[in-house]
Amino acid sequence: MIQILAQEVVEESSGIDLLLPDTSELIAGFIAFSIIFVFVWKWVIPAADKALTARQEAITGQLTQAETAKQEAESLLDDYKKQLAQAKSEANTIVEDARQAADVLRSNLVGQAEEDAVSIRGKARADAGAEMDRAAAQIKDEVATLSLELAQMVVAGSVDESVQRTLVDRYIDDLGNLPS
Amino acid sequence: MAAEPRIDGYAAAILEVAKAEGELARVGDELFRIARAFESSPELREALTDPRLPIERKQGVVDDLLGGKTSALSVNLVNFVIGVGMASDLPNIADRLAERAAAERNKVLAEVRTAVELDDETIDRLSESLSQATGKDVEIKTVVDPSIVGGVVARVGDVVIDGSLSHRMQELRKTLTRR
Repeated sequence: MIQILAQEVVEESSGIDLLLPDTSELIAGFIAFSIIFVFVWKWVIPAADKALTARQEAITGQLTQAETAKQEAESLLDDYKKQLAQAKSEANTIVEDARQAADVLRSNLVGQAEEDAVSIRGKARADAGAEMDRAAAQIKDEVATLSLELAQMVVAGSVDESVQRTLVDRYIDDLGNLPS
Repeated sequence: MAAEPRIDGYAAAILEVAKAEGELARVGDELFRIARAFESSPELREALTDPRLPIERKQGVVDDLLGGKTSALSVNLVNFVIGVGMASDLPNIADRLAERAAAERNKVLAEVRTAVELDDETIDRLSESLSQATGKDVEIKTVVDPSIVGGVVARVGDVVIDGSLSHRMQELRKTLTRR
């Protein structure tokens, strides 16, 4: 049945009509196109536009955020670098101070050790001298004691009556010369 | 020289007894000699001061040693000192008695030590020279002390004038050992 109708249409058209759609078909097509156009223009395009804008904003925001993060990271890096440099400088100062302190300490210790050595040498020399003096004095004492004991024995043996009298007389004379 | 009150007290008591008996000069002299013997004889000193010996025994020793050689009063006074337990202070009491006795005669006691006995003439000359040297009227008590070897040592109160050979030896020793 459809095949018959189509055949009838083909048989009824001719010339340019063969190329041009049917008027009704044109109108229907135009209406359909308009409806679709309006639909697309009114809803699809704004929706797509909105989505694109949102997407663009999101990307822009992310980019900005990334830029900020990058700047923060750079700032932090700078801080770290500064802190590291400062720490290095402080470490150097500490090391230098410690080295100077060690130098002073070493110098003091060496000086003290030298002083101690001089003092010990001096004391040893003084002790040795004192010991020699003591020994010499002891010998002197012993010689004096022996000499006196000998002298006392000689004197005791030689002091007779007349010597005793002379000694007493001399004592009496000496008394007369004492300041009264 | 300041004496202990106890020693001075006994010396004063003995002085009064001797004075009452009219034997001050003799008793003073005898006690002085006994005291010197006590000082120079360790055996006598030990016998009279030994706390283990009874007092009667000590007094017996004194009677044996001094009986007949000194006056009875001197023996009794020595026994009195031993009886009161002051035998070790006998020399000090005798010295103090001699000082007091000399003071009674307005004189100052001079203890003179020599190695040998002195004759009276020498004692007089010594007394005169000591009086002149000290500015005091001295009364001499002599002591024979062989340890001084020779010369004289005189003590008047706290003043000692040492002219002994032993002293000169000591001085020589000091000079020789002086550093």
